[in-house]
Amino acid sequence: MADASTGVLRPRINWQSLTTLAVLGIVGFLVLLPMVFLVEESLNVGDPMAFPPVEFGIANFVSILEEDLKTVVNTLVIAVMATVMAILIGFTLAWILTRTNVPGRDKLERLMELPYYMTPLVGALAWAVIAGPKSGFINQIWKAVGGTGDIADIYTHFGIAWVMALFEGTVAFVMISASMKSMDPALEESARVMGASKLRTTLTVTLPLVMPGVLGATLFVFAEMLGSFAAALVLGIPGRIYVITTAIWDSTLAYPPDYGRASAMGLSLFVVMFGMLTFYRRVIARGSFTTISGKAFRPRPMDMGRLAWVLFSICALYVALAVVFPIAALLMTSLQRFATVILGQAQWTLANYQVALSLGPVRTALLNSIMLGLGVATVGVVIMALLVWIIYRSQMRGRGAIEYLVMFPQAVPRLVFGLALLWAWLNMPVGLYGTLWLLALAYFTVMLPLGVRTLAGVVLQIDKSLEECARVCGASWGYQMRTVTLPLLKPGILAAWLLIFMACVRELGVSAFLMGPNAKVIAPSIVNAFATSGTELTAAMALIQTFTVIVALIILFRVARGMTKELQ
Amino acid sequence: MKVFAAVATALCAVSWAGWSPAVAQNQPQNQAKLCDKPRQMEGFKTCANVEKAEAEGAFTLYSTDPEQGQVKLLAAFNKMFPKIKTSYVRLQAGALYAKILSERQAKSFLVDVVQISDMGMILDFQRKGGFRQYVSPEMEFFPKEAKSKPEGFWTWGSVIMAGIAYNPNNVSAADAPKKWEDLLDPKWKDAINVKVSNSGLQHGVWYMLLPILGGEYFKKFGDQKPRAFDSYVQQYGRLVDGQDKIIMGAQYSGYIEFKAKGAPLAFVFPDTGVPAVPETYGIVDQAPHPNAAELFMDWFLSPIGQKALAEALLLHSPRPDVPPPGGSDTVPLSKMKLLSPADWEAFEKDRPAFAKEWNRIVGTGR
Repeated sequence: MADASTGVLRPRINWQSLTTLAVLGIVGFLVLLPMVFLVEESLNVGDPMAFPPVEFGIANFVSILEEDLKTVVNTLVIAVMATVMAILIGFTLAWILTRTNVPGRDKLERLMELPYYMTPLVGALAWAVIAGPKSGFINQIWKAVGGTGDIADIYTHFGIAWVMALFEGTVAFVMISASMKSMDPALEESARVMGASKLRTTLTVTLPLVMPGVLGATLFVFAEMLGSFAAALVLGIPGRIYVITTAIWDSTLAYPPDYGRASAMGLSLFVVMFGMLTFYRRVIARGSFTTISGKAFRPRPMDMGRLAWVLFSICALYVALAVVFPIAALLMTSLQRFATVILGQAQWTLANYQVALSLGPVRTALLNSIMLGLGVATVGVVIMALLVWIIYRSQMRGRGAIEYLVMFPQAVPRLVFGLALLWAWLNMPVGLYGTLWLLALAYFTVMLPLGVRTLAGVVLQIDKSLEECARVCGASWGYQMRTVTLPLLKPGILAAWLLIFMACVRELGVSAFLMGPNAKVIAPSIVNAFATSGTELTAAMALIQTFTVIVALIILFRVARGMTKELQ
Repeated sequence: MKVFAAVATALCAVSWAGWSPAVAQNQPQNQAKLCDKPRQMEGFKTCANVEKAEAEGAFTLYSTDPEQGQVKLLAAFNKMFPKIKTSYVRLQAGALYAKILSERQAKSFLVDVVQISDMGMILDFQRKGGFRQYVSPEMEFFPKEAKSKPEGFWTWGSVIMAGIAYNPNNVSAADAPKKWEDLLDPKWKDAINVKVSNSGLQHGVWYMLLPILGGEYFKKFGDQKPRAFDSYVQQYGRLVDGQDKIIMGAQYSGYIEFKAKGAPLAFVFPDTGVPAVPETYGIVDQAPHPNAAELFMDWFLSPIGQKALAEALLLHSPRPDVPPPGGSDTVPLSKMKLLSPADWEAFEKDRPAFAKEWNRIVGTGR
């Protein structure tokens, strides 16, 4: 632009470049710093407590192949089974609730999200009560009707995968739902008009169009399953089934801690995730998934006729298996003096609730968790939306690398990344260690993949021409983001906010290592209670946590009713 | 074999029953630096500056004990000194110790007093200069083996012992094992649970029983396919629900806790003796609240602190003037034949070998 008085060209401030650089700088620092420490530790073959390490080698990686192969195989088998189940469940439920006229849609959708509100331990504990060998409820009923032996055993590979899919697969439902909500129903209607059946329409129109969402969810859920800890802890150990996370847990609890082994195991999963992400990017690059163009649309569900009630039953079955039965089992356990599934010897009491509520630090921890969830979700989702835009919409060179970068925290199990964050931040010359601020930064870092994957599924569906139109009409980048991109991203942003909030409240892996005496959060307290105080107190604490989170969300949604109509 | 066992027992076992405060007082104080005029508080004596401690206003404990028990213990201290706000961190021994070392390396000093249930780590921390020496007026009532050399770096706060437990609803008293050797009976195959190799108590069981029962015993024990768990809570829970029949190395405090809740359990003290390990406390060097830390240690080591510990965590105090936890049917230390390592340095060095072998036995081996 020419300056009228001097005639000199003055560069205009490029807000897009500045924002992009700032976001990339912050994210790059937050993600790469711990990764450096992690790689360094994985190569440490000397004293595990030496900082920085003095002896380097690849022995930790070699020993995975030599000594931990069974653990790696267990991990992969369980993660694949759990991912397949979770995606099938998530896709089916998302399709039913967003694309059909199933009765009670809104209420069912809220119920579907419930398992994700609960701490990961809840599902595992509840299913141990329901389907434990010898004395689980299913086996007790089986024996009561004359059966012999055990009909159900949750302490198996399938059992662990089942619980993971039921409770951690909710994320697949939310991510795929967000994609389906952003889909123009005219495309499905065209197929129906041309004579395609409902099933054919779903398979040939709906599924391909929501492919980014489904693939993104698969990628994310698979990583989540590889790093899943709670179900493997509660159900794997009694069945002598060890996965990478339980092996890592053991490595960090022993002294001297086997940090090298834990880091190498965590990094080895990187290879798997790298391959998955490359596959995902290739699929995305090949197709066009635009469903939101300049044409106005209103999502209209398909009329399923009487079949709607069959679909309702499918949803109800899921709610029964993932919400009603587990909460009933936990409620029963929480009312016992000592946890037992043999009801004849049970002694009933309300004391566990009294104890849980009287634990002052637990109350503070719950409050801290909710505050962190609100803060990280609100600030995080804005930065993540910008990141997603940079990755998929900007013309910046190397934007593909950023997608890999933000997936790093998901590509290694959370427990290992938690250790890496500890090493990184403990040695920073700023006094963040032991404060809630550090937990907030750590949560933001580990929630990046969740937020980015959820938002990416929706961004890919938005026609670029809408943004280009805004720019052509003279809108600045900021104005275009505010008035076009972000409003179109609303379903994705709301889904991402909710997922991040919930994931923060139940976060365990990094919290376990970064909590300070005056900066406590709830999930590690519940795991501690499981480890040291008994299932009955754990159940009471978990139910109090779930109830509190639900109440907090209801209040929040009521307060922000206008803005979050979607979530009412 | 029997002669070997007897000699080994004699060498290793610490004679607890014959110990008295008078004996302890006769021991040389080993460069002890007790203050000249301890101040008499309500129920205990202290060398700490109480006013400064209250001005510090905070105290942080890092401990391996259950959270619920820690809250109760710290609440009892806070009740007496309401101006001192208490906080804690609870982790398993290995993770807790690693955390403390990492924090110190980064010069992040958050902890005042540390409790760890593994003597190996305690000795290592003392060698590293991690403890600050403070001789409490209450330490004279503790046996010499319960105190650091020189005195004042660490003191045993409680003792945990391990026997055999079973569920009388599933195992009759006649059928129940009476001695450690009975656990090799094929009828217990796939029906025994133990703790994982990270447990200091399980290491104590291995270390004390190995010279008595021989290496062959543990080889055969491995054939019984025992299952390993992190905590006594899960061990007793499985017994109550009939998923396992026997606990080998059952923590006695856990038995007292579950029994008090009405769980169907029975505990066996084998004639050979019950392995025992301590939970050890000490003030950390460069503690952020040094006066509050001293005041806490004085209170904690006194009968009122030890009673608070017994009530909160159901653990036995090393002080003979403190009654055992639980009801009147709890066996006191003086009636037990405790097997405790006499050489803790050797115990510490044995840990890697134990962990490797125990992981193999319980199927967590790499």
